Amino acid sequence: MTLDILFNVLLLAASIYCFIYIGGADNSTATELGAAFWPRLILGIMIVLLAIGLVNMIRKKDSKVPVDGAAVAAFFKSKLLIGMIICAMAAVILPYIGFIPTSFLFLIAFGVLLGERRPLILVLTGIVATLILYIIFQGPLSIFLPRGYGFFRNFALAMEGFLSLIPGL
Amino acid sequence: MLDTLISGLQIVLTPSTFILIFLGTVVGVIFGALPGVSASMAVALALPFAYSMNGVIAIAFLCAVYCASITGGGITAILFKIPGTPSSAPTTFDGYPMAQRGEAGKALGYSLVASAIGGLIAAFAMAIVSGPLAAVALKFGPGELFAVSMLGLSVLTCLDNGNVIKTLVSGLLGLFLATIGMDPQTGVARFTWGSTTLLSGVEMIPVMIGLFAVTEVLKQTVKRSKKDGGKMDSTSKDGKFTTAFPKVKEFLAVKWVMLRSSILGTVVGILPGAGATIASFLSYTVEKKISKHSEQFGTGIPDGIVASECANNAATGGAMVPLLALGIPGGNAAAIMMSALVLKGVQVGPLLVKTQPDYLSSVFGSMLITNIIMVFVSLAIAKVFAKILAIPYSILGPVIVMLATIGAYALKNSTGDVVLMMVAGIVGYLFVTLGYSSAALVLGLVLGTMCEENLRRAYQIANGSWVNALNSPITIVLLLVCASMILFPIIKGAIPDKKKA
Repeated sequence: MTLDILFNVLLLAASIYCFIYIGGADNSTATELGAAFWPRLILGIMIVLLAIGLVNMIRKKDSKVPVDGAAVAAFFKSKLLIGMIICAMAAVILPYIGFIPTSFLFLIAFGVLLGERRPLILVLTGIVATLILYIIFQGPLSIFLPRGYGFFRNFALAMEGFLSLIPGL
Repeated sequence: MLDTLISGLQIVLTPSTFILIFLGTVVGVIFGALPGVSASMAVALALPFAYSMNGVIAIAFLCAVYCASITGGGITAILFKIPGTPSSAPTTFDGYPMAQRGEAGKALGYSLVASAIGGLIAAFAMAIVSGPLAAVALKFGPGELFAVSMLGLSVLTCLDNGNVIKTLVSGLLGLFLATIGMDPQTGVARFTWGSTTLLSGVEMIPVMIGLFAVTEVLKQTVKRSKKDGGKMDSTSKDGKFTTAFPKVKEFLAVKWVMLRSSILGTVVGILPGAGATIASFLSYTVEKKISKHSEQFGTGIPDGIVASECANNAATGGAMVPLLALGIPGGNAAAIMMSALVLKGVQVGPLLVKTQPDYLSSVFGSMLITNIIMVFVSLAIAKVFAKILAIPYSILGPVIVMLATIGAYALKNSTGDVVLMMVAGIVGYLFVTLGYSSAALVLGLVLGTMCEENLRRAYQIANGSWVNALNSPITIVLLLVCASMILFPIIKGAIPDKKKA
């Protein structure tokens, strides 16, 4: 089994499921196309194309990404997975701890992942870049960045208070 | 037209108006360059300033912001692979690889000059053909608009990166994502599985930012960990980049691309609902199809940048035609401008150009001036942005992701969109690895709603008859062109290559 085939099979299964699922929302009349018409048309074509693609892949057996034990083990040790986890974590914690702490932690964590080892540079980058982004967007552009809850909310409100003291912001 | 030109210049060259247009250009370029601040958002943010202005000056000011923001979108598309506005997405295909080669300045030069030329041609076209073309655009009903969006979708086959089936599947996936949420016609929830978050649908901008920006940072993570673990360099080749702009000779080499893309962009911009995004994708595809070196598209050639940037700026001029001549906004930004005029008590409609020609003159003059000063303003701003490329990637990469995060969040002040962007980024990486096309997915997502709504409306108007729904000559011609564009690469692929044999 290759990653290509695996992805294709998953897409095909999901498409078939969605095709059947949306059938329940069909409210077509003689003069009106229902809510299910367009999605079913798209999914129908997609199912045919995915099936053709799958047959081609199995016939040719030329997929470049074989999934064996070693490849799976290498993926779990890779920087890519850690990068994905850091991104996912940032998205998850953003509403809870707010923009400033998320940005600061993310910049440090991803900086380390990308090979920056100097702690002073990491911390300075985290603080300076976060403040620049915060001031630009929260200030002149009036985009209310996430505040978080509890302590983090109070912290964000205090920062907004400081920002309002700067003339022109 | 000479009268319009003289009258327009008289309006915009008044010192106070000129300063306002200049400020509008600066603000527009900066807003456009910021990811997540779309052209319509830039116009919306500038709207409060226009309240205190006279109607004629207000439309000139907003027009400056609109044109400049579309141009600004190309700056981040080239430097960071984050399209500042959706219409700059095709600019990333060639602009970013060129910047990666250490030719950021050159890429920006092509982008800015192409934008200016596209805008200028569109401004003249607007002044000359505003009336007749608006009348043609009026003939475009749902059937014709469905055909236009299908024509936009046929671009898919040109985004093919070696596997037509995978590209088509990517485009269909984009179309499918556009169906998630509440059905706009019947109010039925589709693919929401009871989630209220999904009811509002899948937003295009977070998906696009995720697919282009987050995926790129993840790709760089892998690339750099393979290269050497510790040492980090800048995003440009060997840590160096030039801010040297293209020479006149180099610009002349792409003069026909500029002309074709500008005309195409203007025509697409005139069609209500089509807009700059379809214009830039369509123009990129057309140039790729007719180019003698089409295989070089996507590797960082000037033609790709010029095609996209000329067309999206020309579309801004085109979008003003239905707004001024018919009172129909061509897109979101035009709708915001229209609301500003309505607030000023201006009766927008077919009589506006005849009874108050100052509005057409003002827009014309503003577009001329904006597109000229925009080159210099953007040059200064782009040079500052280009310097950012010298920053080590261990700092720049995470900052790009945070910028992308704000871009996704700012759209609706929703952290759900940030999650969507990150998911799109991760899926985008998988897409790139397995040879699927992120650009095709974005195109499907952009055109999905327009395609479906117009098809259903056309069917309804035709009382359930497919023949009557799609039988107008314009629709038939457009659908035939579309079918040939989709089928040509498939048939070409099926015929054995004699040269190879």
